[in-house]
Amino acid sequence: MLEHLGEKLILHVTIGDFSLSFDLVTIIMSWVVIVLLVVLALWLRRGLRQEIEEKPNRIQAMVDALVDLLKGQLTSSFASEKLARELFPFISTLFLFVLFSNWLSVIPYCDSPTKDLNVTLSLALLVFFVSHWFAFRMKGGRRYLKGFIEPYPFMLPLNIVGEIAKPVSHAFRLFGNIFGGAILLAVVSAELIPVVVPAALNAFFGLFIGAIQAFVFAMLAVAYINVAVES
Amino acid sequence: MLQDTQNVVSGISGADIATAAKYLAAGFVMAIGSIGSAIGEGLVAAHALDGIARQPEMEGALMRTMVVGQAITESTGIYSLVVAIILLLVV
Repeated sequence: MLEHLGEKLILHVTIGDFSLSFDLVTIIMSWVVIVLLVVLALWLRRGLRQEIEEKPNRIQAMVDALVDLLKGQLTSSFASEKLARELFPFISTLFLFVLFSNWLSVIPYCDSPTKDLNVTLSLALLVFFVSHWFAFRMKGGRRYLKGFIEPYPFMLPLNIVGEIAKPVSHAFRLFGNIFGGAILLAVVSAELIPVVVPAALNAFFGLFIGAIQAFVFAMLAVAYINVAVES
Repeated sequence: MLQDTQNVVSGISGADIATAAKYLAAGFVMAIGSIGSAIGEGLVAAHALDGIARQPEMEGALMRTMVVGQAITESTGIYSLVVAIILLLVV
């Protein structure tokens, strides 16, 4: 049955009358993704050529193609070349983290960290603060604050609600897709057909939907930063 | 007192009714909530296909915009999914 769906391994820490709860599975799986990305980056760096005249080897060609793809797909919709160059590492890191988090659910005994709303919400808040920081820096304090009373001063509450709705929908979109896929998978494998079909569903939800949602998450981050900087 | 006796006779308690309402509500949330996003995503895909048929060389840009547009259209469906999950697992 499905009783295990709501269960979580939670560590409660109480200091005085201040209490903290940590979801251990999410934290461990996030660290697995981080370590995986760091190891991959270090391993790929070993293959890079030292001199510019040297002929690129296979790893170099692969990394070049990957970076070109990310650059072309993710940052081509930025308003200015300078902004795209400045934010390319951030956006591609976000994309790779979400992509590997989504793909982790395919490996047995592993779980997607993005299945937890806390992870997606913190990523969305990161994008929110980055977009507002860049808007503040690019437009200056006066024009940044003036953006909130556009087009009319009485629109101020509506603009503020609109700004808050952005990270919320950004986080819930990723969380809902990954968690919905996980629930469907659990229902099918526990109640309906426990052989073959869950594997195909896992490939579909983990690999295909995971890749699309990671791309969409990064693209929406670009769009939010772009709107904040431009308008 | 009278109500209690009636409940004992029929065998249905308030908690049973609440559970039934919970499952019914989750079903209705998904059924009605996904209509809008389904129609919206279909419209986005249809118009993107129109655009690709007219200008095949624009396929890359159109596909990228289409995926992002569909993801935004999908949010209402995702909200109803989240509400249904909250109804089933949390409430």
